[in-house]
Amino acid sequence: MTQRNDRICGVLLLVLAVAYGWGATQFPEPFGGAESVGPDTFPKVLAVVLALSSLYLIVKPDPDNAWPTGRIVLELVIAVAVLVAYTLLLQPLGFILATLLAVGTLCWRMGAPPMRAYVTGAIAGVVVYLLFTYALNLALPLGVLSVLEGS
Amino acid sequence: METLGYLIDGFGVALAPHNLMFALIGAFLGTLIGALPGLGPANGVAILIPLAFTLGLPPETALIMLTSVYAGAMYGGRISSILLNIPGDEPAMMTCLDGYPMAQKGKAAEALAISAIASFMGSLIATIGLILLAPLLAKFALTFGPAEYFALFVLAFATLGGITGKNPIKTVLAAALGLMIATVGIDSTGTQRYTFGVLELYEGIDFIIAIVGLFAISELLFFIESRAGDGKGPMKVNKLTLSFKEVREIMPSSIRGGVLGFIAGVLPGAGASLGSFIGYTLEKKVVGKKGYFGEGDPRGVAGPEAGNNGASSGALVPMLTLGVPGSGTTAVLLALLISMNITPGPLMFTQNADIVWGVIAALLIGNFLLLLLNIPLVGIFVRLLSVPPKYLLPIVTMVAFVGIYSISNSAFDLYFMVAFGVFGYFLRKLEIPMVPIILGLLLGPEMEKNLRHALDIADGDWTVLWSSGLAIGLWVVAFVGLVLPYIVGPILRRRMNAARQSAE
Repeated sequence: MTQRNDRICGVLLLVLAVAYGWGATQFPEPFGGAESVGPDTFPKVLAVVLALSSLYLIVKPDPDNAWPTGRIVLELVIAVAVLVAYTLLLQPLGFILATLLAVGTLCWRMGAPPMRAYVTGAIAGVVVYLLFTYALNLALPLGVLSVLEGS
Repeated sequence: METLGYLIDGFGVALAPHNLMFALIGAFLGTLIGALPGLGPANGVAILIPLAFTLGLPPETALIMLTSVYAGAMYGGRISSILLNIPGDEPAMMTCLDGYPMAQKGKAAEALAISAIASFMGSLIATIGLILLAPLLAKFALTFGPAEYFALFVLAFATLGGITGKNPIKTVLAAALGLMIATVGIDSTGTQRYTFGVLELYEGIDFIIAIVGLFAISELLFFIESRAGDGKGPMKVNKLTLSFKEVREIMPSSIRGGVLGFIAGVLPGAGASLGSFIGYTLEKKVVGKKGYFGEGDPRGVAGPEAGNNGASSGALVPMLTLGVPGSGTTAVLLALLISMNITPGPLMFTQNADIVWGVIAALLIGNFLLLLLNIPLVGIFVRLLSVPPKYLLPIVTMVAFVGIYSISNSAFDLYFMVAFGVFGYFLRKLEIPMVPIILGLLLGPEMEKNLRHALDIADGDWTVLWSSGLAIGLWVVAFVGLVLPYIVGPILRRRMNAARQSAE
């Protein structure tokens, strides 16, 4: 069993600790002059704690967990992409359509038959929209569907 | 007697119709969340927090609803343990041992009813314990100065890994990361720290976003990777035939389990896993050869369930009195309090007495509601168990999105939440616990404030941090709390696994 994960993580965190600690030394002096405890004191303590614990991780790593490979990595990337796209589309496309697409795609990628997946997405979108708009009085963006509202 | 007066006032708060309604909603949703495999109480409460905000609930109502969710989730956990042999979370593991065999023998309804009664007893005992103990602890904590508080925060982190935590250094690491995230923003002297000129960061990073991202989004990613859950369907539930005699039989087990669970819950770091484990082992010891544990002994269901629920109410003691949560879920509840501008801790008992006692009263009422809800409605929860997670998790994720979106209407926050989700996925892969990160985010500002105070008073002399007996005591407990799991943890985990294997 390899122990690379923890080592790599330890190195990255060590770099972070140094950068963070260095950042703390660059803070401008607060208004009212230097105090015994300034804005930099606590961050410096944290940088030291993080540096020490990441060093420990490098020296004594735990055995690795298996990382996903191939297809599953792709699925994970798709899932994150769907979430980002959901955020992007929420305003322009409106809540109901964006939810239909996002929930539908996620269900489908997780193994549901496409038809049922998108139907689930549509139902979820409409139900939550109605719930928020009429029961909770909160506005969710209606987006392109707002043409229906006028009629 | 003073306590009694407060408690009566508390009932006045908790019994207000809208509070009662939200308690009922919370109890129902909580049971649902707990019943679904993969969604634990911490995730459940985390997902519902943004909703509590968007509803614009007053603090006591929001807190009442979410404590009901918490209690409900602890109740619900047993449903998947008994019917699917899948523990929803670690503490529910012990319930599988006798609960599933009971269901296999066609006594699923009895197992569910017994576990509901035992859960009720456990919570009831622990809530009474909370009422007795919390004011005393709060009074004691009033004597704390800044140095003691700083030590107390360290203690909170040190014991958070809990007995079942694996690598204590990873707990330290996670705590440091969380505290570092907390320093982003403009500090009390007006200095900008780590904002890189990004306007959205001036106010700091909202921990609600971090919590939802870390818990809900990472859960989705983790599920995609493991593709778990498409296994067998739940057991059939027979018609309930529970005699008074049978209920009487499990009462002693429930009481013992509840008391032990409460103690385990109050102790920093011990938590519900230990509560249910000792609840079960004690039953085995007490009943001895007369029992048929592992083959569906009702007492083997009652003991751990009472312990489990006792511990979860017990964990509210340090959270409410000291502002130091003893478990992941109480950390999430703490987040709720802080974001409503209520500082938990001893002062809350005097400054926000109505809230504290309202919540405690709500906990009592919630337990009755849960018992009433759980015995007749168990069929509904069982039916919901058959909804496959591949439909459920995307919807849960969407609810988290909507919650965050309706707090701020900001796309920036949503991206941040997704980023935290990815971060959480890597952390879980590396077995770095997420709760200390959350706690770091929550306690960071208070911790720094107390450090500054203590050092300012002592003119920058760091030894002030361990200059009083009380402070030294806290440091010692913190140290023990950090090191002990290293020794006890593997033993406990091994025993829990061994018990599980021998039962199979």
